[in-house]
Amino acid sequence: MFSAVTRCAACVCLCLGLYHLQYALLIEAKAAMAPFLIERAWQQTLVSGVTSRPWPWADTWPVAQLEIPAVDVRLPILASTSGEALAFAPGLHAGSVLWGEPGSAVIGGHRDTHFDFMADLVVNDRLQIQDSLGRQLRYRIAELHVIDSAHTPLVTEGNEHQVLLVTCYPLDALHAGGSLRYVAVAEMEPLQPTFLASRRSFKL
Amino acid sequence: MSFAHHFYARTRSSSQWRVAGMWYCFRLLPGAIVAGLLVLLLSASPARAVAPDHMPLQTGGLLLETAAGESHPAVMQSSNFDVSISGMVAVVTLTQHFANESSDWVEGVYSFPLPDEAAVRSMELIAGERRIVGRVRERQLAQQQYRQAREEGKRASLVEQQRPNLFTNRISNIAPGESVSVRLEYVQPVLYRQGEFSLRLPTTLTPRYMPGRVLEEGAGNSKREILSINDGSGWAQSTDQVPDAALISPFLHASQGSDTSPLNAMTLQVSLDMGLPLADFTSLYHEVAIARQQFTYQINLVDGRAEMDRDVLLSWRVASGSEPQAAWLSETRNGKHYGLLMIVPPETAPVPVPRELVFVIDTSGSMAGDSIRQAKSSLRRALRRLSSDDQLNVIAFDSRARRLYPQAMPASQQRIAQALSYVDRLEASGGTEMLAALQMALSDQSELHSDRLRQVVFVTDGAVGNEQTLFEAINQSLGQSRLFTVGIGSAPNSWFMRASAELGRGTHTHIGSAGEVAERMDALFDAMAAPVATDIDIQWPAEVDSAPARIPDLYHGDPVQVVARLPQPLAPGSAITLRGVTGGQAWERAVTVSASRDSHEGVASLWARRKIRELLDGRAQGADQASVKSSVLALALEHQLLSPYTSFVAVDETPVREPGSTLTSRPVPNTAPRGQAPQTYAWPSTATSAPLSIYLASVFLLSAILVWRLARDEVTPAADVCASRSRMAQTHV
Repeated sequence: MFSAVTRCAACVCLCLGLYHLQYALLIEAKAAMAPFLIERAWQQTLVSGVTSRPWPWADTWPVAQLEIPAVDVRLPILASTSGEALAFAPGLHAGSVLWGEPGSAVIGGHRDTHFDFMADLVVNDRLQIQDSLGRQLRYRIAELHVIDSAHTPLVTEGNEHQVLLVTCYPLDALHAGGSLRYVAVAEMEPLQPTFLASRRSFKL
Repeated sequence: MSFAHHFYARTRSSSQWRVAGMWYCFRLLPGAIVAGLLVLLLSASPARAVAPDHMPLQTGGLLLETAAGESHPAVMQSSNFDVSISGMVAVVTLTQHFANESSDWVEGVYSFPLPDEAAVRSMELIAGERRIVGRVRERQLAQQQYRQAREEGKRASLVEQQRPNLFTNRISNIAPGESVSVRLEYVQPVLYRQGEFSLRLPTTLTPRYMPGRVLEEGAGNSKREILSINDGSGWAQSTDQVPDAALISPFLHASQGSDTSPLNAMTLQVSLDMGLPLADFTSLYHEVAIARQQFTYQINLVDGRAEMDRDVLLSWRVASGSEPQAAWLSETRNGKHYGLLMIVPPETAPVPVPRELVFVIDTSGSMAGDSIRQAKSSLRRALRRLSSDDQLNVIAFDSRARRLYPQAMPASQQRIAQALSYVDRLEASGGTEMLAALQMALSDQSELHSDRLRQVVFVTDGAVGNEQTLFEAINQSLGQSRLFTVGIGSAPNSWFMRASAELGRGTHTHIGSAGEVAERMDALFDAMAAPVATDIDIQWPAEVDSAPARIPDLYHGDPVQVVARLPQPLAPGSAITLRGVTGGQAWERAVTVSASRDSHEGVASLWARRKIRELLDGRAQGADQASVKSSVLALALEHQLLSPYTSFVAVDETPVREPGSTLTSRPVPNTAPRGQAPQTYAWPSTATSAPLSIYLASVFLLSAILVWRLARDEVTPAADVCASRSRMAQTHV
C-alpha cells in the first residue's frame, strides 16, 4: 500500500524531471543548432541580395552578422527580438536605426545561450558587423552598463552611431523576466574608406 | 548430480557477474547520477545569482546621456516672432538671440526653418548697442566676406538658404558670456481656403533622411569647402543624392524641452488687421491671449513663452457673409508696380466621377510615434469613405516600397477590410526611400481605365533631403495622375510637400495632431471628389509678368492666387477677367480695380519670391542651370532677397577678438519636434527558462531517485522471502 504511493511519487518526480530536462535540452539544442542553418541563409542573402529564410517555415531571417574576435564569437543576427526569433539566434530590435545611420542599432540575445559571452566583454573590445549589403562596420565597446528597463526607456535616436548589445541581468540568474539589462554600448569607429566603397556586387 | 553440480558452479560464476552488475546498477550508477544532479543543482543555484563586484548597478537616464554624447551645448538660442498681418500679407520680424554660455570665443551655427513661401528681405546684426545692417550678396562673395571677418576677429553674421524652408545662420566671434542677436524680416502670404485664413510659423526641423551613398570625405564638398565648418555641424554625411547633407542636418537637443522650461524659447506677438471684425480666431498648438482694438487684434502667448518644438498655426475667419470673394492688393516699389490677385471661384455641385485611388503611406523611422498613428488613422478614414465605383491600392514604404495589390482593385467591402487590416499592421522603422514609392504609385497606371480620375494620396512627414530628385520624378511620371500630399507631424517639411502637390496638380493638406485627422481628411476628400474649376486663364487689362504661369485646378474652397508685376498701376475701374471650366460649363468672373490708392507692403517681395521659385522649379523641367541662376540672381539682388544664390551678410567693422585667442565653431541645437522624439521602445526579453528548467529537472530527478530508494528499502522483506524460497529449492535438489 505504502510502496505503491512512493512508487507513484517516484514516477511523477521522474516524469517531471525528464520533462524539464528535455525542455532545457531542447532550448539549448535549438540555440546551438540554429545558427548553422541561419549561417547558410545568411550566405545566400549576401550572394543574392534578397532576404532568405533559414528554413522554409521560419518567420524570421538573418539581417546581419556579428563578430567579436576578443571572445571568439561569430553569430548571425535575425530580424526580430521576439521570443521565437531569439530562441534561434540574437535579433535586431525593431526600433533600431539602419546600419551606419546615426542612432542606435539594438541587438538582443539570450544571456544563457548566445549572449553568454557578455560577461567576458571589456571596454575597447572591437566588434564587427556585416550588413546585408556586405559592408563591414567596425565598432568599439565604449561602455558597459546595467540598466533597469522599468526606469530607463530604450531610445534609438541620437547623433552617435552606436550598436547596443543587450542581454538580461544578472547574467546567471535562474528566473527569466527580470527588469535589469546588461548593455554594451559600442560606438562606430570613424568611417573607413573601405566601408564607404564596399557596396559589393556579387555575380552568380 | 554432477551435471547439477556443474550447473550450480556455472550459475555461481554467473551470479558473480550478476552481483557486479547489480552493484553497478544500484550502487554506482545512482551515486553517479546523484552526484551529477548535485553538480547541476549547484551550478544553477540561485545563490550564485549575485552581481559581480566590479559591476556597479547603474540605473536612470544613462542611455539618453550617452546617446547625446555631449554635455551642455555652448550656444543657446531663443527667438522672438513679431508678426504683423494685414489682409492677405504677413510681415514677420524674427529676432534670434544667441547666448554664448561657454568660456571660449565661439562661432555659432544655427539651422532654422522658415515658411517655404517666405521672402526674406532684411537682416540686422545686433550686439549690445551696435546694429549692423546686413546686405544681400552673391552666395560665394558673402561667404568670403564672412570668412574674412571671422579670421579678423570681427563680429559677423551670415544667413544662407539651404532649402526654401531651411536656412542656416552663422554668427562669428561671440565673446564668452556674451549675447548677440540677428534680426530677420520676411514677408509671407496668408493662406485662404474654404473661408478660413491661416498662417503657419515653423519653429523646428524634423531630421531628414539622406538617401544615396555616402561620399568620401571631401569628395562632393569641394564647392562648399569655402565655409568648411562642416567639421561636425551636421550629423549626416554627404551622399551622392544629397551632396549638402551636412548642411541640412541640424543638431537636436538630446532631451525634449517643455513650455515651462524651454531649451529654445520663443515669444510671439501678432498684430492682425483684416479691416473687418473676426468671427473666430484659433491658435491650434499654442495657448494665446487676444486683445481687440477696433479691427486690430493683438495676440500673445498666455505663458509669455513656449518651447520651439512645434509649428505655430493661427487661423481665423471673418464674419459670415463678409468673406472676401475677390481681392486686388497693389504696391509700388522703386518705380515698379506689383499686385496680388485673389478670386474665389463659384461653387457648383461637383459631378462625381469614377476614380482610382492610390494611398501611399510613409512608414519610415522618422514617422515613429504620434506621426504613424495619425497617418494610419487618416488612411483608415480615407479608406472607409471609398465607394464601390472606386478602385484602390495601398503602397507602404520605408527602406523599400511594397504594395497591397499588384494593381488597383475595385473597392469592394471585402477589399476595403483587407486594406484596413493591412494599414493596421504597418509599423514605422527604417529609411525613407521615397523615390521608389513615388515611381511605384505613378508608374502602374493602367490604360484600361483612362476615363477614371487617378488620384494618389501621399501621407508622409517629407523628411527627406533629396527633394530635387523627387520633383524630377513627379514631373516625369505624373501622366494623368493627380498627387495629393498629406503632411503629418509637428514639424513636417511643408515646402517639399506643397511643391510636390503643385507639380502633381493636386493639393496639400497638413495634419499636426490627432484631433485634426477627421476634419482635415474629410475636407480633403470632399475636395478630391471633383475639381471645382479647371483650365483657368486670366485676362489682364495690360501686359503683365505674373506667377504662377500655369494656374492649377481648383478644388472646393480653393481661391485663385496670382502675383503680377505691371508696367503701370491698373487704372481704377479696369477689370481683370478670369475664365475657366466648372462642372463642365464655361465660367467667367471679373474683378474691378477700385480707386483705393493704398499700398500694401510686401506684395513686391512676394512677387519676386514667387518668380524665383518658378524659375527654380524650371530646373525640374529641364531649364538651363546657368540661365536660371543668372535670372534668379538678378531678381534676388534687385529685391534684396535671400535665395539659393544670394545670402545676407553683416560685418561689424570693429574687431572684438584678440588675434591670440582661438575661435571654436559650435552647432546651436534645435529642439526635437514634439511627439516625435525621443521615441522609446521596450527592451527585448533576453533570457530563456533553460536554467530554471535544468534546476527543476535536477530537483525532480534527485527526488525521484530518493523516493525510489525509499521504495526499494520498503520491498526488501519480500526479497528475503524469495531468497529463502530459493534456498529451500536448493536443499530439495
